[in-house]
Amino acid sequence: MNYLKFLAKKLLGGLAMVYVVVTFTFFLIRLMPGNPVLARLTSLLQSGVPYQAAKQQVAAMYGFMPHGPLIVQYFDYLGQLLHLNLGLSIAYAGVSVTHILMSAAPWTIFMVLLGLFFSFILGVAAGVVAAVWRNSIIGQSSTFLATLLHGIPQFMLALAFLYLFTTEWRLFPFGAPYDAAIHPGFSPAFVGSVAYHAILPILAYAISGYGGWTLAMKSSVISVLGDEYILAAELRGLTRGIRIRYVARNAFLPLFTSLTLSLGFMFGGAIVIETIFDYPGLGYLLNNSIGAQDYPVMQGAFLIITAAVIVSNILADLLYSLIDPRIRRA
Amino acid sequence: MASMNVQAKALPPLRRPNGWRTAGRVLVRKPGRIAGLVIILTFVLMAAFGPLLYPATLPSDAAQIYAPPSLAHPLGTDFQGTDVLAEIITGARFVLLSAFLAAFFTVVFGTVIGLAAGYARGLVDSVLMRITDVFLTVPQFPLLIVLSTVWKFSSPLALGFVLGITSWGGLARAVRSQTLSLRERGFIEAARGLGLSNRHIVTKEIFPNVAPFVVMNLLFATTGSIYSEITLFFLGIVPFSNNNWGVMLNMAFFQSGAMYTTSGLLYLMSPLACIMLVTFGVVLVLDAVDEIFNPRLKGV
Repeated sequence: MNYLKFLAKKLLGGLAMVYVVVTFTFFLIRLMPGNPVLARLTSLLQSGVPYQAAKQQVAAMYGFMPHGPLIVQYFDYLGQLLHLNLGLSIAYAGVSVTHILMSAAPWTIFMVLLGLFFSFILGVAAGVVAAVWRNSIIGQSSTFLATLLHGIPQFMLALAFLYLFTTEWRLFPFGAPYDAAIHPGFSPAFVGSVAYHAILPILAYAISGYGGWTLAMKSSVISVLGDEYILAAELRGLTRGIRIRYVARNAFLPLFTSLTLSLGFMFGGAIVIETIFDYPGLGYLLNNSIGAQDYPVMQGAFLIITAAVIVSNILADLLYSLIDPRIRRA
Repeated sequence: MASMNVQAKALPPLRRPNGWRTAGRVLVRKPGRIAGLVIILTFVLMAAFGPLLYPATLPSDAAQIYAPPSLAHPLGTDFQGTDVLAEIITGARFVLLSAFLAAFFTVVFGTVIGLAAGYARGLVDSVLMRITDVFLTVPQFPLLIVLSTVWKFSSPLALGFVLGITSWGGLARAVRSQTLSLRERGFIEAARGLGLSNRHIVTKEIFPNVAPFVVMNLLFATTGSIYSEITLFFLGIVPFSNNNWGVMLNMAFFQSGAMYTTSGLLYLMSPLACIMLVTFGVVLVLDAVDEIFNPRLKGV
């Protein structure tokens, strides 16, 4: 019962947050210099489209009518949103925003999920090494490498990768998620091409996150190492391997929350890498929609990126209370 | 009671340790810290006086495009034949000024909101923390991209403000939790018992105890803001008002293809090297600041 209440509270909080973000973007578009909605209507009228048709076209595009009281437009927009209707794109005339988002999202999810997976696994392992052998050369070099990589900004790392592997040594292709000559489908050639094009962005994403995970795991392990049950395990004569397993399992807990949170931030967290490698995910889409003044797409991409964070926040809370019973009792 | 007073008078007066002298001693303990300070001072001087050394618009020479390093152009020239060293020196002011302003706004918002929420508790706390949650949830870069459509934040003050307002959430939470624990301590109870005003308690009793943490965050936020603003310029989100390191990177990567010519490499690498140097300097000094505020670390 208590758990259900907790769940309901989190869900309500999440919904409230989505509502805030939706409202924010709605009024932001209205605040824009020159009001793109009205500008669009005027340009349609000028190109000879009759008023009624122009009005309907603009309404379809933005999901709300350009005229009438703001409050009516606002509720119109909310109603359309409940039907998952995000309007039509401006840059890709007539294509629905939902469709554009749905074709961009898989690339982001695929690239960032793998990048996150590798950086997390490697980072956690290196963190255990850095903490357990912190007085030896192995542990210290692990810490040094992590600090170094953690200090390098993502765009710098991505630029270095791009320069070294596509220009200097030409080991990997640049741009586009797959070879344009290959027909998309579930064929070995296509899958291979996708993987080949994804290696560089995934690697850049993984290495830029690696240092942070290592440092977090290291400090978590060190704090667990000081706990009394580890001393007790040592006194009981348990082997070093088993003790390290004890430590790692408990030190892992606080990192689990950050991992779930990073999953949420992944939708928007890859803007830099996607832009540098020309990888057509959501971040790339968002950044390009500004240049193309494609506000419906911008609005939709921002909404989906933020919604992902909100959902993963809720997930993090729920999963954490599942794996750590102390939270549930508190 | 009386005898205790007499004894207290007999003791030699306790001298407060001189802050500057301690700081100086901590700084010279490791040569790396002095190096860090020198690096930071160099860049600060560059930001303060650099633009005075050059004309407002740097001369370009079409005959000297991507010239190799020489005496006249120690770092070579860019795609327009402008001296790269001059661009680095004149670009420092914008980068450092807006990064410092961003860090300042982050720290001010974070500290004030954290102190208020932690000290007031109750309704004020819940409201402030819900607002903090919103700012922590909405991812910074997508938000900045969306905001950039409405607001052309291209002056150092505007850029600093917008970076500050999108990144104070974490600090506010940390300051709040420290305040929550501090306000239950004996000396705060004593201050309340003495009938001191809330304002006095928050500013004179609680704030000094979170101040070291806040100063450390000011330094962290400075390097973080340099990365954020350079990324914003690099992606072309902020309109270019004048030359700076981020604009140089954008030009080198997206506009002039410096990536693909060996001769253009210095143009691309110089701003990157400067960003790394500044970060390096801050990290080295941070080590000293940490020791000044946490003397217990000295032996380690």
